[in-house]
Amino acid sequence: MRNHLFLIITIALALVCQKQFAQDNRFISGFFPEASLSYKLNKTYSVTHKVESQNGVYDNQSSLNDEWKYNHRQTDLQTFLGRRLTPFIKVDIGYQYRMQDGENTNRTIQQISILQRQSNLRIGHRIRTDQTFFKNAAPLWRVRYRLKSQIPLQGFEVDPGEKYLSFSNEIIYMYQSGEDDIENRVTASLGFYFNDKNKLEIGLDYRTDDYLVENRFRHRLWFKVGFYKSL
Amino acid sequence: MKNTLSLFLVLFTIQLAGAQTKVEVEKRIKKSEVPVEVLNWFEDAYEDISRVKWFYQTESDIVSFEAKLKHNKKKHSVEINPNGNIINIEVTIDFDDIDSKAKQRIESYFKDTFSKFKVKKTQIQYLGSNDDLEDMIDENEMSEDITTNYEIEFYGKNEKGKELWEGLFDNKGELINRRKIKIKSTDILDY
Repeated sequence: MRNHLFLIITIALALVCQKQFAQDNRFISGFFPEASLSYKLNKTYSVTHKVESQNGVYDNQSSLNDEWKYNHRQTDLQTFLGRRLTPFIKVDIGYQYRMQDGENTNRTIQQISILQRQSNLRIGHRIRTDQTFFKNAAPLWRVRYRLKSQIPLQGFEVDPGEKYLSFSNEIIYMYQSGEDDIENRVTASLGFYFNDKNKLEIGLDYRTDDYLVENRFRHRLWFKVGFYKSL
Repeated sequence: MKNTLSLFLVLFTIQLAGAQTKVEVEKRIKKSEVPVEVLNWFEDAYEDISRVKWFYQTESDIVSFEAKLKHNKKKHSVEINPNGNIINIEVTIDFDDIDSKAKQRIESYFKDTFSKFKVKKTQIQYLGSNDDLEDMIDENEMSEDITTNYEIEFYGKNEKGKELWEGLFDNKGELINRRKIKIKSTDILDY
């Protein structure tokens, strides 16, 4: 299983690299903190709030030839209402408010997450659809699939005080007023499992998009720190 | 916005200070860290097995060593206490490999207790003296003194809820005990 995962990531990276050298492209990098807070309403329902913020520090196509520069790109506030269908399947509906330069946007989100337990690792499959609404443009529709693994670094299960590795890949198909595109996101991070209610992940998140747009390609590499808290 | 965010992160971090509780340890160790008493039995029983993963574990202050390996294409997990006494040997099997009478009994327990169920993992558990267990592994000789149980991980749904269980059944398929398996939080995989 672990081999499969590496294979998927390798193929994704290979695809990305191939595009990278073929076209005129844009590279952005920065710091991406995120934090989530989850709590149960009752046995079946739970709520999750999440805040995430993209802060750019490097852009090779910055207008003033000023490649290194801090700029707040966007901050998202999300809230999800989740219903656990079985110990392995959970469905969520969510709402996101994005604050950014220009126009702030609203997004509705629907997702189903499926937990796969292997003898020495856990895999989470997430299928998500979302719709982003703009004042003067047609809505943006997206369908996404993410596979994320959690691999213990000590023993065959992650216990309190231990660390884990986490890899994920997400493919996003998007559509807006007659045009479509694909985005890919690969992440690799080191996780600190303080206990079941407090987890910290530090890693890299590499995003590429404009796959279906001619003569354009964009890479974004984020240094990511995420805290997951539940009550 | 930046300030709000930093405050958020700081608050989370402060929470952590008081949040550490650790009782159970289970970690991978090298063969060289395994006590000789434990290794001796092991090397007699599983003569030709070279790929073994060793683990050290404590559960409510009880220390044990666990070896995980493949023997005759089946997954074995051998739990041994520090003196070299075998606590049990567990072999992963298919649910359908359970002796048919015991299997019927287990299935009727599932049907009587749950409206919906699904077996996730089946292990046959052997308990007995070190010598008897050694003969079982290397000579294929089954002593009458060996106790055989089935440890089954299953999902069960009834009016009380949907849970994942671990049930221990005796060799006739009678339930000895069961416990709920708590699944660790999935927030890192979901959001």
